[in-house]
This record gives sequence, C-alpha cells and structure tokens, in this order.
Amino acid sequence: MSLESAVVQPAPASGASGPGRVGGAPRPGRIVLHAVLILLSLLMVAPFVWMVLTSLKSHAEVMSYPPTILPSVWQWVNYPDALAFAPFGTYFRNSLVIAVSHTVINVVLAAMAGYALARLPFRGRSVLLMLVLATMMIPTFTKIVPQYLLAKTMPLFGGNDFLGRGGSGWLDSWWGLIVPGAVTPLAIFLFRQFYLSLPRELEEAGRLDGLGEFGIFARVMTPLMKPAIATVALITFENSWNNFVWPLIVTRSVDLRVIQVGLAAFQQTDATLWEYMMAGTVLATVPMIVLFLFTQRYFVQGFATAGIK
Amino acid sequence: MAAPAVAPPTARPAVGAHRRRRSLGGDRRRAAYLMLAPAVLHLAWWIGIPTVATFVLAFTRYDILAGTMSWAGLDNFVAIFRDPLWWKAIGNTVVYTFFTVPVAMAVAVVIAVLLNTKLRARAWYRTAVFMPHITATVAIALVWMWMFEPNIGLFNWVLSLFGVRGPAWTSDPAWAMTSVILMSVWKGIGLKMVIYLAALQGIPSDLYEAAEIDGAGPVRRFFAITLPLLGPATFFVLVISLIDSFQVFEQFYVLTPEGGPANATTVMTYEIYKSAFQRFDMSTASAQSMVLFAFLLVLTIVGRRFTGRDDVA
Repeated sequence: MSLESAVVQPAPASGASGPGRVGGAPRPGRIVLHAVLILLSLLMVAPFVWMVLTSLKSHAEVMSYPPTILPSVWQWVNYPDALAFAPFGTYFRNSLVIAVSHTVINVVLAAMAGYALARLPFRGRSVLLMLVLATMMIPTFTKIVPQYLLAKTMPLFGGNDFLGRGGSGWLDSWWGLIVPGAVTPLAIFLFRQFYLSLPRELEEAGRLDGLGEFGIFARVMTPLMKPAIATVALITFENSWNNFVWPLIVTRSVDLRVIQVGLAAFQQTDATLWEYMMAGTVLATVPMIVLFLFTQRYFVQGFATAGIK
Repeated sequence: MAAPAVAPPTARPAVGAHRRRRSLGGDRRRAAYLMLAPAVLHLAWWIGIPTVATFVLAFTRYDILAGTMSWAGLDNFVAIFRDPLWWKAIGNTVVYTFFTVPVAMAVAVVIAVLLNTKLRARAWYRTAVFMPHITATVAIALVWMWMFEPNIGLFNWVLSLFGVRGPAWTSDPAWAMTSVILMSVWKGIGLKMVIYLAALQGIPSDLYEAAEIDGAGPVRRFFAITLPLLGPATFFVLVISLIDSFQVFEQFYVLTPEGGPANATTVMTYEIYKSAFQRFDMSTASAQSMVLFAFLLVLTIVGRRFTGRDDVA
C-alpha cells in the first residue's frame, strides 16, 4: 500500500521491473544517489518538522535568537493552551463536518451519475459527458462571483423573500458552506472511468436474477468498486479539508469558520504567537498527512486516473 | 396515478412473457435520468449558471446593494485595462508563473528519474516529496511565513551561519515575490514528480540497456533517451502547471497580505478577490475573471494542440 505500488503500473510490456539501471549502479554511485535523495527528502520534510518543533516550544524560546532546534522543555501544554486561546477546536470540528458531508454527498451522487454515464444507454449521453468534462475545466475564479450571488439570493433563507431579496440567503450558514461544493465533476468523471472497467456479464447476471437497474447499481456493481470509492472519497475529503477561498467568502461568524480560514484570521491578529499558530497548523495538516500515509495508493491512483486535480 | 383503461398508443401489444424485454430500454433510460438528476442539476446550478453569469455580469453595471443592473458594454473592460494595478497584477502573475513552473518541473523530472531506479527506501523518498502536495496551502504558507521571519526565523538564521545577512523576505518589495515562489516550487514538485514517474514506467528498459552497451553514461542516457521520451508527459505537466499557476491565491493571501509590499505580489486572482469581496464591485470582478479565463483558455488550447491529448484523459 505504498506510493510505489500505485505508481508502478501494471507490469510494463518489457517485463522488467523498472526502466532504470536494472542491474543496480556501482556502489559509490549508489551512495551518492542515496545522499542526494536523503538531502532532498529532508528539504521537503523540514517545514513539517519545524512546524511541530515550534508548536512544542515555550513562547520565550520561540522568540529567542539564535533559534534552538529541539525544544529545551517540551511544552505539550501549548496544545490545550492554543485551543483555549483561539477556537481552533471549533474550526477543526467545522472542517471535519464539512469534509465528511462533502465526501458522503459526492460519493453517493457522483457514483450514481458516473454509473449512468458509463453503463446506461440514453439519448444525449455523449453530449452530457462532454458537458461534465467542460465543467471540470472551469477555473474557480471564473464562477466564484455568481456562486456567491446565488448563495446570497437563495429564496426564503437567511431573511430573504421568495425572490431572494432582503436577507443574506445562504451566506454565513452551513447550507452555504456545504451545498455549493458538494458535487464535483471530477468525481463523476472518475466514477465513470472506474465503472467502465467492470465486465458486462455481471450486469446481465443481475438482470437475469430479476434485479432492477438500481438494484444492479447498488447491489452488484458498486460493491466491486471499493478501491474507486476510496479514491474518490479521499480526494474529495482532501480538497474539502484544504479548501480556503469559498469558506473565506461565504462565512463571517467565528462559529462557522473552517480551520484554514481560522488560521489565516489568527495570523492577522496574533502573528507573534508562533507556538500557538504552529499548534493550529499541526491540527490543520496532520489529519491529512496521517490519512495520506495510510492510503497513498488511492490518492495516487486518483491523480494518475484524472491527470489533473 | 391510476392508469386509464386505454393502452397508450406507443405500447407494444405483448404483455406477460415479453414484458421484461419490452420495458428494458425504458427502464434503463428512466433509471439513467433518475441517477443523473441530482448531480447534473447541482452542476448546472452551481457551475453552469455561474459560468454564463460571469460572462453576462462582465458587460453590465451591477449594484449589489440596490440590486440594479444596467448594460455597460465594454466599459468594465476599458476600465480594468486603464487601471495600472490590473496590469501590474497580470505582470506579477506572469512573473510568478515564469519562475515557478519551469523550476518545479526541472526539479520534479530529476527526482522522478532518480527515484525510478531500484532503490531501498524509495517509497519513503517519494512520500516525502509528495507530502507537500496533499497538505493545505494556507497552513503550509503559515509555516513558511514563520521560517521567513526576518529576525528569529529559520532561513535567516541558517544564512547567518554562512555569514549572510538575510533579507526581510515577505515584507521587502524586492524579495516578497521570491518568497512566494520558493514556497510554491517546494509545494508543486510532488504532483509533477508523480506524473513523471508514471510516464517513466512506460519507457522500455531495453533502450537503456542498448545505450549502456554502446557506452552511454547516465547523463548521456538522460538527455538522449529519457528526456525525449518524456516529451508528451512534459507538455501535460506544463499545461496543468500553467493553469494552476494562473489560479494561485492562497500563498499570496497568507504570505503577503494586502497584495504585498508596494503591490509587489498583487496577482490576478487577488485583484478579482478584492474587487468582488472587499469593494463588492461584482461587474469589475467579472470582467477581470473573464480576462483570467481567456488566459487559461488559450493555455489549455495551446497545450492540447501540443500534447495531442485530452486534458482529462
């Protein structure tokens, strides 16, 4: 379940396990190679390490110069203190609620749509597929202004009348945070690709057993799609958890801030409390890192299948 | 709804034994529509309508407070192109892209080639390089902000060990853009490396064996075999990187708030954000969005022509 096994695609035609130096480089070359790679890896990981180390130092130690590498006293109390100082716990919970909602909604709705696009015949199927692909390429900033206006003018919400006038609609509400980004064209496309790969005989066997189309979808085909579901679920969760611009513009109240927005706001007001800020960034990054370490294969599969994020 | 006794005119005569076959196509079509409806309506509402609406808003004067709208023709476009700050934003976006994309690509291809050899612990190296890609940009930007801190930050301390007096990084107009570029290169390497790695798997190893027998060293093999055969992947990586780069927002917002010192890091997305959500001038923001969209459209089309493949395949 490593990044390796996912990137190494079904054995290349040549049969060799890799196109590099198959026999192995001579020893000195190998040592240099490892040295270079270790140095590079350290450069990539250093900011994460520095984040964690800073989050465990006392304020005096953080502000002292020259900086120390390891905390002289490991201040685990920084975490409860940071949570008491700024509502990082609330932010964390909000992010979690939104990411889980997005994941569940996206997996269910996109799986159905992807299945229909892959396996059910209907008029206009290829046109619809092209449209879904087209929506995938619309950049965030090309649609964000009207999305905001749509959320603001949602009729009968947030004090709006039935024409959507007068109030704030879905702005600063769970609706506005969750609904607009809940379904992604990327997920539909990924599901379509995965459903296409299932054999036709299964579908027909289900039909002979008297299952309806929904039965075939839910009880025959989808149970075989666990890796695909994991891939889409993880990518959805990651994008939702890391999302910043939309939550930034639709929320105002502190209670509804997600962790990324909360951190940015904390930086603007308390920029010198680096140890608390780093405790907050640990809370914002570690869940994704842990998830990634255990499920790398699915992440990479998703990126390889989609090509783009 | 109670069915009327009269059979609908389109119904075929056979009932009973033939019922299943007769209704199969209809069942499947109906199922397809039902399964598609929620997702398609969602996309139409939240992506379809907004995309069209941006185009319309860009040609109107829309007052969000009064709720009034009037036709403006090209006025919004004339106005933004008379605004020196918008030109500065375009320039900054191009500069950022010009320095971020090629550097990250060069580093990514070298790492991918190094990691494509059979090595112990290579999964660890790959994980380390890919990790920045999956973590939140905002959180990571804060960590870099802390490393960039001019007086007690990590970078200037390390530089001082070599006797170099480091700059004020994000708050110095001469260095602010460089700071964001450094972070973005670091963050962008992982995804590019993964795409390159996948492409490298497709290069047959006998080519290398033949080259080795002919006495080509590793550097020669890289330039004579690897790089040419990575051509399609390179264009693909280039196009998605350019598109991502033109849409960059978070690291600028966090590392250099307010568009940076002396607008040194005002990029197009930041200007759009400011027009729309600080000045609530939705028409100007839409016109600016259309310009950004035009850049991305051209990049996509050019990229597709060169790569000869669909963006999403």
